[in-house]
Amino acid sequence: MSATALRTDKLSKSYGRLRALVDLDLSVTPGEVFGFLGPNGAGKSTTIRLLLGLARPTGGRAWIFDTDAADVAAAHRLLAHVPADVALWPQLTGAEILELLGRTGPGVDAGYRDELIERFSLDPGRPARTYSTGNRQKVALIAAFATRAPLLILDEPTSGLDPLMEREFRRAVGEARERGQTVFLSSHQLAEVEAVCDRVAILRAGQLVDVATVAGLRRLHRTEVEVGYTGTAPDLDAVPGVQGLETVGAGRLRFALTGPPAAALRALATADVSSLAVREPTLEEIFLAYYGEASR
Amino acid sequence: MTAVSPAGAKRAPGRAVTGLAMRQVRRGAGLVIAVTAGMSALVAATYRSTMGSGSRVEALAALAGNPAIRTLFGEPAALDDPGGFTVWRTGTVVAVLVGTWGLLAATRVTRGEEDSGRWDLLLAGRLPMRAVVGRQLVVLAIVMVSTGVAVTVAMVAAGTGLTGAVLHGAGLALLGLFFVGAGVACAQIFASRAAASGAAVALLGLGMVLRMAGDGIGVLAWLRWLSPFGLLELTRPYDTGRWMPLVVLAAAAAAALAGGWAAATGRDLRGGWLSPGTGRAPRMTLLGSVQGFAVRRTLGPVAGWAAGIGAYFLIVGLVAVSLTGFLTDNPEFADLAARAGFGGLGSVEGYAATLFALLAMPVGGFVTTRITTVATDERDRRFALLLAGPVTRWRAGGAEVTAAAGGAVLLTVVAGLATWAGTGLAGAHLRISAALGGAVNVLPVALLSLGAAVIALGVVPRAAGWIGGVPTVGGFLLLVTADSTGAPEWVGALSPFAHLAPVPAEGVSWTGTAVMAILAAVLCAAGLAAFARRDVRT
Repeated sequence: MSATALRTDKLSKSYGRLRALVDLDLSVTPGEVFGFLGPNGAGKSTTIRLLLGLARPTGGRAWIFDTDAADVAAAHRLLAHVPADVALWPQLTGAEILELLGRTGPGVDAGYRDELIERFSLDPGRPARTYSTGNRQKVALIAAFATRAPLLILDEPTSGLDPLMEREFRRAVGEARERGQTVFLSSHQLAEVEAVCDRVAILRAGQLVDVATVAGLRRLHRTEVEVGYTGTAPDLDAVPGVQGLETVGAGRLRFALTGPPAAALRALATADVSSLAVREPTLEEIFLAYYGEASR
Repeated sequence: MTAVSPAGAKRAPGRAVTGLAMRQVRRGAGLVIAVTAGMSALVAATYRSTMGSGSRVEALAALAGNPAIRTLFGEPAALDDPGGFTVWRTGTVVAVLVGTWGLLAATRVTRGEEDSGRWDLLLAGRLPMRAVVGRQLVVLAIVMVSTGVAVTVAMVAAGTGLTGAVLHGAGLALLGLFFVGAGVACAQIFASRAAASGAAVALLGLGMVLRMAGDGIGVLAWLRWLSPFGLLELTRPYDTGRWMPLVVLAAAAAAALAGGWAAATGRDLRGGWLSPGTGRAPRMTLLGSVQGFAVRRTLGPVAGWAAGIGAYFLIVGLVAVSLTGFLTDNPEFADLAARAGFGGLGSVEGYAATLFALLAMPVGGFVTTRITTVATDERDRRFALLLAGPVTRWRAGGAEVTAAAGGAVLLTVVAGLATWAGTGLAGAHLRISAALGGAVNVLPVALLSLGAAVIALGVVPRAAGWIGGVPTVGGFLLLVTADSTGAPEWVGALSPFAHLAPVPAEGVSWTGTAVMAILAAVLCAAGLAAFARRDVRT
């Protein structure tokens, strides 16, 4: 077994003067669910196109396990893909498309496919012309999850799904993980990424900003703390990591905490604390912080 | 036209849609106008130098009664007039060009846009579907009227009579309008662009077949009143100049345009009046591999094209009966025909060979549409689904190319068999080997179209349709123009048709065949290589 399911080395892509992707170094461990985040136009889809060999890098290389991504005949035996905006052959029915993709793809578990058709409540007898956006997405998702490919590359796979189907999607990702499949998930649905991903990469303007576990990202960011106390207010002015200290009412304080909380906790211990609420930032807040930096 | 706009709308929405419609057709329209007007002017202007000698005109006039010639170019009228000669020599070709472009453009800008989902956006705006379709119709109508005017001006400028020029130009414009209307009507009836275009092309083919039958078989002459091409011919510009057929054609065009426009109301967006069912049992044949899938996708179009080509060449075969009768009655004809530049028409084999050359165009059209389908699949992102599998682009593209080539072979065989059957029924006794040989002989020219389209797929996929048409349609137009204008020999030699021996009247030109086949193969390989190297477009 290879040490990485997916690896890029200074992967770059320029369209004329537009640098869509700059020196991307990424490595995804086999078996992990890897989130790939970034605002619109950050280069997520470009990265996926390069990984799939649909576009040629202007610099650098990419590997799917140990196979060069440019060698699609070999690399694509190891992966399945769901595109961001699924387009199907309008005259073929769902069942026919699943058959086509199953037999030309990296191999399929027909039993699991039938189960997924049930679970995603897809009517496979209808021609694709009559499918809604969500239904087209379901076809591509079922086709990808039903493969036993060790790597699934999913590009915003749930943008057209309703909450029920979104839940099925998360279940399917979980099952893929249990089977040892690696999932590379590009998404805007931060709650989804937070729920299913082990690690997250954040891309901005074609450059990698950060790669960390979701918990790790949180640690780097501000935690909001609200304290209730009786008597004298705790003295937090000189405590490292504490910012934005404010009084929100009689006997209530609120501040933001960055980094290890030990010093702040020691300072709080000196006061008579009656309540303590610690709220970790959501991925959305972390993400908006990155966005914000970009727009600033 | 200005509509009453709600406050805040600086420009009427209709004008924006008209602007869009013009952008969508301007390039093709410019090319069609340039080719039709240019070809007409060129042939008319060089008439004196090419037809100057009286004996040649006389020989040509003798051709008038030949059913083969009439089947090919229509009934000649006023060959002693540069205008009459031009109308006869270029009229059918130009009319087919204008009609085909008109109907394909009409289905492209209506059903094609609707199919792609772009109309979901457009019709969310203030204009209802009927207004959008109406504006597309108006723009296409303007193109057709401009084509007619351009041809008229070109003919007058080339020194032909005004009345004839107006009659010819008006006839072409009305024919174009008819097929625009037919195209838009088909786009309302059928829920997919391929079906709409196919139906409209079938209508055009039917019109051609009726005209040919009417011209070739004396007792069926009245059939011409039922065909736009027949009506165009019946106007006899520069000759007796009849306006009645023009009136009928105008009425037909008006009915088609009004019908197409009216049919745009009362149906669902992305639906048609004939919407196929919403469920069916799966048909799993030929879904097991990329090659199988390419074959599966080619079968339907092959069947459609085969039906059209088969019907056409069956008529061609049937017409041979009047040809044999004519030849018996006019033993001196072969000599006259040869003097007029139509050598070989003195026998059934020669007649068949001349008509088989035309076969390269529909077969070239078929292979081109197969490759434009790949380009469309790529643009609409369907192709990426297949390419995400362990399939190289060489294989995925190559599968479509080989399926198209196989379809082309099948179509020529169908044409050969249909001709053989037709001549057999007519008692003209064309051997089956001769018929098949003559039909298959044109394959290299059609394959050049395949090669050109594949090169376009690799380099400029958007232009695959136009570039694919260059060797066949372009080559044919070039040869007809060069032949009728007395252009230097090398000009005509640029056309692939110049290197095609008139099989079965003569033996195969193996050099020409080999050179064209090799060139086609090289073009296909180079195009696929470029396709495999470039980024997939989404």
